[in-house]
Amino acid sequence: MTRAVHRFTLLLTGATFVLLIAGALVTSHDAGLATPDWPLSNGKVFPKMVGNLFWEHGHRLVATAVGLLTIALNVYLYKREARRWVRRLGFVALGVVIAQGLLGGLTVKLMLPLAVSAAHATLAQLFFCTVVSLTVFTSPRWREELRTIEDKENLPLRYLLLAAAITVFLQLILGATLRHSAPWDRYLPKELVLAHVGGAVAVSLILGAAILSVLRRHADETYLTGPARIALGLLALQLLLGLASYLTRLASPSDPQPLNPMIWVTVAHVTCGALAFATTIVLTLRAFKVLRAPESTFQLATA
Amino acid sequence: MSTKRKQLGLGLMLLLGLAGIGSNCGKTPDENGPPKAEETPYKKTGKEGTITGTIAFAGTVTLKKIDTSADLVCAKKNPNLETEDNVVKDGKLANAFVYIKNGTLADGKQLRDVSFAFSGDVTLDQNGCHYVPHVLGVQTNQKVRITNSDPTQHNIHPTPKYNPEWNQTQPNGAPPLEKTFGHSEVLVPVKCNQHPWMKAYIGVLKHPFFAVSAADGTFTIKEVPPGKYTLVAWHEGGASGTEKTIEVTVSANGTAKADFSFGAAAAASQNSSLELRPALELPVVGGH
Repeated sequence: MTRAVHRFTLLLTGATFVLLIAGALVTSHDAGLATPDWPLSNGKVFPKMVGNLFWEHGHRLVATAVGLLTIALNVYLYKREARRWVRRLGFVALGVVIAQGLLGGLTVKLMLPLAVSAAHATLAQLFFCTVVSLTVFTSPRWREELRTIEDKENLPLRYLLLAAAITVFLQLILGATLRHSAPWDRYLPKELVLAHVGGAVAVSLILGAAILSVLRRHADETYLTGPARIALGLLALQLLLGLASYLTRLASPSDPQPLNPMIWVTVAHVTCGALAFATTIVLTLRAFKVLRAPESTFQLATA
Repeated sequence: MSTKRKQLGLGLMLLLGLAGIGSNCGKTPDENGPPKAEETPYKKTGKEGTITGTIAFAGTVTLKKIDTSADLVCAKKNPNLETEDNVVKDGKLANAFVYIKNGTLADGKQLRDVSFAFSGDVTLDQNGCHYVPHVLGVQTNQKVRITNSDPTQHNIHPTPKYNPEWNQTQPNGAPPLEKTFGHSEVLVPVKCNQHPWMKAYIGVLKHPFFAVSAADGTFTIKEVPPGKYTLVAWHEGGASGTEKTIEVTVSANGTAKADFSFGAAAAASQNSSLELRPALELPVVGGH
């Protein structure tokens, strides 16, 4: 039965990833206000999906599905999960998805104020990482008695990875703020662009150092090196997508409407960022699982 | 002074400072200026003049084709829709908004201290999945009638700086929307969140002395009281459009001539890939 719970969390993770893409498409198409009402769309549950209403209402439909799956997961956890702290995390996920829905409504009712839109985008990433964490905690591998390894270098890898996860999260906040600071036909604020580039440098250094430390110190531990390699690949891809997003976004004020490649490149940048964050979280959780602080030894001075 | 009192004092100063900033946010340019004299209603004297002119455009520009396939109704009704930002024919520019920015009437009164009555409404239509007209002028508190002549749903969303922002859906067959703008603002961008290529601009002024250049680049502003004025021509493009200014003198029953010229070089520099907005506008809780 625990495998069934794990498979359900995988389903929810996949659905949430689709929702992240759907949400990013709304922003890139400038469809956030395609309908001024919420939670209905133009007074209907199923309006005619034309123009930008296709993206906005489509996003709402996927969000509803994710909300219902989260409720179902909580019921499943309540019935099948023995660990209370996992059930509580499921409840936290439910609270977050409800808050996210309300934030989404607020963005529409207040006509996309920057602070609320950026909060909505950031909370989406946090929700994604919460369900990814649930997937890790319900995995068969996590439940195994794994051999622990001494984290004996001067800078504990667990804390380095934790610092990397926090840095990635701060960069996500910057990215969300930048993305929502101007519509597609306006140039982005210079200060935010520079801050986001600075964040990219910080993430590259800290996450890069953490990943390379994992690969160097624990080359034989595939439990750690697996997600480390994925995170490294995603980091490299994200930097390229960031450059491509910047260049396509620079050109978009001259376009008659939101066009590809700007739409797909910016959506890819958002979702790759989410994947990089999620992979860093997985790596950090696994590091805390299998790495332990070194045992201190005292050597008594002999007379 | 005790530490607690110092902290309380600092906190109060901070709050007062924020209140000061907040009270200055959203104020129109009119409200930020020096106190005005009471406005005098203008009475026609029969000696009003005219300002006419032509808007020229140097260089060549290519209008961009719009992909309307996201809404099949638009694709069918207007398959060859193009942008309207640089409508140039024989070197003449259409859709330039020409208006009197300020000035002094012949009797010594400042234009801003005189009020002018308006009559009738102004209509903005959604036809062929684009706004008709693309640029229009209206007086403060004069009614704008917004109609939908398309067999599809539209969503009208003005994004002003000094007037309240609103966003409303208008299905096919719905009655006209009637809206007003209470503060002068040149110009209010209007978008459609359903069809993101749709754009219009509304110039809101306290007085009726404005015009939009026609397809042949000509404009006429009628019934202008004699006086000396600053005349501005606005053309869209760049972060907030390009403006050119000329000083004109309108004599009693006379016609003042004012020609403007815009160029492709100016338009291109406004769209330069190196141009970035200088700063994030505060407060961040404002809509867009």
